[in-house]
Amino acid sequence: MSAADQIGVFSGHRSQHSATQHKVVAYTGDGELLAGDFYARVAGIARHLRQRPEQRWALVCDDTFWFAVGFLALVQARKTLIFPQASGPANVAEAQAAAVLTDQPTRFSSFVSLDVAAITASGTPVGTDLDDELLIELYTSGSTGRPKRVDKLLGQLRAEVAALEVQWGQTLGDAVVLATVPHHHLYGLLFRVLWPLWAGRSFYAPTCAQAFEFNAAARRFGRCLMVSSPAFLTRVTDFGSLQPQDAFRAVFSSGAPLPETTAAKIANESGHAAIEVYGSTETGGIAWRKWEPEVGQTPWQSFAGVEIAAPENTPGFLRVRSPWTWRADWVETGDLGQALPQRRFLLCGRADSVLKVEDKRVSLAEMEQRLVAHEFVSEACLLILKGKRSSVGAVAVLSPAGRRQLQQVGAQKVRKLLMEMLRAWYEPVLVPRKWRFVEELPGNAMGKIEMARLQALFTERG
Amino acid sequence: MNTLIDELKQLIIKVLDLEDVTPADIDPQAPLFGDGLGLDSIDALELGVAIQKRYHITLDATSVETRRHFYSLANLAKFITARQAS
Repeated sequence: MSAADQIGVFSGHRSQHSATQHKVVAYTGDGELLAGDFYARVAGIARHLRQRPEQRWALVCDDTFWFAVGFLALVQARKTLIFPQASGPANVAEAQAAAVLTDQPTRFSSFVSLDVAAITASGTPVGTDLDDELLIELYTSGSTGRPKRVDKLLGQLRAEVAALEVQWGQTLGDAVVLATVPHHHLYGLLFRVLWPLWAGRSFYAPTCAQAFEFNAAARRFGRCLMVSSPAFLTRVTDFGSLQPQDAFRAVFSSGAPLPETTAAKIANESGHAAIEVYGSTETGGIAWRKWEPEVGQTPWQSFAGVEIAAPENTPGFLRVRSPWTWRADWVETGDLGQALPQRRFLLCGRADSVLKVEDKRVSLAEMEQRLVAHEFVSEACLLILKGKRSSVGAVAVLSPAGRRQLQQVGAQKVRKLLMEMLRAWYEPVLVPRKWRFVEELPGNAMGKIEMARLQALFTERG
Repeated sequence: MNTLIDELKQLIIKVLDLEDVTPADIDPQAPLFGDGLGLDSIDALELGVAIQKRYHITLDATSVETRRHFYSLANLAKFITARQAS
């Protein structure tokens, strides 16, 4: 019997067998949630949702268990699912959701909302037949001043996790899924929520914030896998101290390529090379690789069913066509690639202006617009600062009102206020950490802002 | 304990490269993340690593415990003291 037959809450299988009702869907901080309870909650909420007139629902849950319940309930109720760029009310409003399904009802008190945790489970599960044509909207940073909407069909998400299971299901067996990445971006949605639900693996609901939490989880579960990213993995100092060592069946990393030194360290200290996954919100998973010693840059292997187009002799635009891109059209990745035999390729850097801060996409143009919209700011220019960590730096010209405020309360308070304003829109990692208030933006005679002089504003002070 | 809290304030400012923040600005009882000092997930990781190195201790906790220990500076100081004693 395959894992999918055992539970398959997202596979469309009917799982009414009594043994499956006692299977653990999710582990919480100190407890576990069984399939029977999970199904009943999904069914109760789906029934509730069917009676609601709103079609477009944003799903915003802090807890991964409620997120999973909410996802399946919305799917069963055939609602359009919306994943805003981040988890704030401003993001939900911007995505034009008609209503919010959430485990944080007070945060969304000004919206039409439904508290996912407050609905009492009722009756037996309704049919688990899922509508593969159901629309899912994800919002991500584009290269313009507006968040970019990416559409998917439910069937595409299901096809993608099915492909992941074909690729790695046997290796992973019944490992419990631990994660350091959020569930509301595509990588987390697929790897930490939908794939385990599809395959009948249990997931650990808390997000691991520190490497040492893995030890407590590994002792508790005996076997596990990690869904992580370079931002996290590059900061783990000692993979050899993860105990028990044989508990870790796989480490997945996505968001950016792992630095060679980190990839080598993981392989040497833990005994397993991390499985790196290359993809994006627009394309879904494209390819994977495992670090190999003495290869130089390890090539990427495209997933079965994914077509790659890139020049063979020199780096050029990398395009992708796969069953899980919208209408299965060719998509520009925005990356440069070089094709190799056997559906392998090299990644050779970025071709467009989409930037990342610690693996998270950010549009500086969009953030600049939000800053300038504030009454205290008349001009703003943002840049990426490199160092021990990457972060956003802000150079701003204050408006007359902003200058008055600065004189009254000081630069620290003005900076804090602007940071709080941006925190309503962005994940904390993307909010500018360093600020420079200037009389005018450093420009040349042509009126073009000089990036080197902007950078210098941050290096001069050390 | 007060010495430890003062040390941790210095450590946070230095390791996390916080500009325009003085030790006096950090309230030991206030949340380190979100509305308080405004640290993020990368800061949390850097801080966890720095503490283990600075105090020669190995931290070990469940996710729920970690959230509590890293909630504020005061909690963090208690956590470190307990690890040093054991």
